[in-house]
Amino acid sequence: MHWSDVVIESLREHEVWHATYVPDAINWQVLSKLEADPAFTVVPASREEEAIGIAAGIYAGGGRAAMFMQSSGFGNTINGLAQLLTAYRIPVPLFIGMRGGLSEFNEVQVPSARPIPAILDELHIQHYAPEREDEVQKYVDGAIELSYASRMPVAVLWYAQLVGAKRATS
Amino acid sequence: MRNWWERNVLRREGIAALVRRLDNEPVIANLGPATFDLYAAGDRDANLYTWGAMGLVSSIALGVALAAPDRKVFVTDGDGSLLMNLGSLATIARQAPPNLVHIVWDNQMWFETGGQPTHTSTGTDLGGIARAAGIPNVARAATVEAFEEALDQAIREPGPWFIHVDIEETGEPRQRPKVVVEENLVKFRRTFTG
Repeated sequence: MHWSDVVIESLREHEVWHATYVPDAINWQVLSKLEADPAFTVVPASREEEAIGIAAGIYAGGGRAAMFMQSSGFGNTINGLAQLLTAYRIPVPLFIGMRGGLSEFNEVQVPSARPIPAILDELHIQHYAPEREDEVQKYVDGAIELSYASRMPVAVLWYAQLVGAKRATS
Repeated sequence: MRNWWERNVLRREGIAALVRRLDNEPVIANLGPATFDLYAAGDRDANLYTWGAMGLVSSIALGVALAAPDRKVFVTDGDGSLLMNLGSLATIARQAPPNLVHIVWDNQMWFETGGQPTHTSTGTDLGGIARAAGIPNVARAATVEAFEEALDQAIREPGPWFIHVDIEETGEPRQRPKVVVEENLVKFRRTFTG
């Protein structure tokens, strides 16, 4: 099974029927299939912090939502992660497509991606990064389970080791 | 808008008028005076008070509206906060939840930080932005009567609704609500999950 299908099965298993996102090419492999599946409601936001707010509201309203973004937009989420998800103990599984690592061609992606694990640590948000396809189910199932058990956001980071690096385009 | 002998709405009057009309419908309140005044109108489990994450209150309400499509969802926002998250109007328009009523108390200032004038004080029209973003139902009110009329229509008719209210900031003393945010969230969520 492709890693994106593993994510979708895990969301289904945990009754996470909503997803909010700002698109990136990595997570789009999951999101495009979610959008085509009538069981899921998928909400594109204009900015990452907004997607955090919508996901928080879905949980507050009795549902469950995962949030998808690219590492370059992670900085936009800090206030929502701290003052909303962490302060109110709102579980939201976060899926972050990581640029700025192996074979990165765009230098500005590097300084925004590199500190993400350290920032998550400081916010007391646990994070995991599967590197091989056969690890994805264990990590994603585990992260979603942990998020709802601890009533905290938990992040899964998709690095180039798993998903491949984006090729430079003109 | 209003006659010269009438004064603008007070936020607490508007919030009290809203709460009087509700049963178990959720209200999500912006940080600062909207949260204080909602609490003062009578604490209820279906109130979600915010204390930070400035700007996100309409996004939270959109999420609630999507998760609970069978309930009318009310959000009381402010001009300074909405100016931080104008993209939310476009996202609400795109999702077009018929059960969402977005009320903005516009006092033309960042009240909590000392009353510095916001961009609405120099002519930015939040209702006009909402309309241009694609929100189909936009109302503006400067008196309690006009606000109640718009609110009753928003309760009766499908939305999304955007009600832009010009308010008078009197700066009367306020009691800080005794709320533990984690408990608030748990109680609020239980009004949906039972």
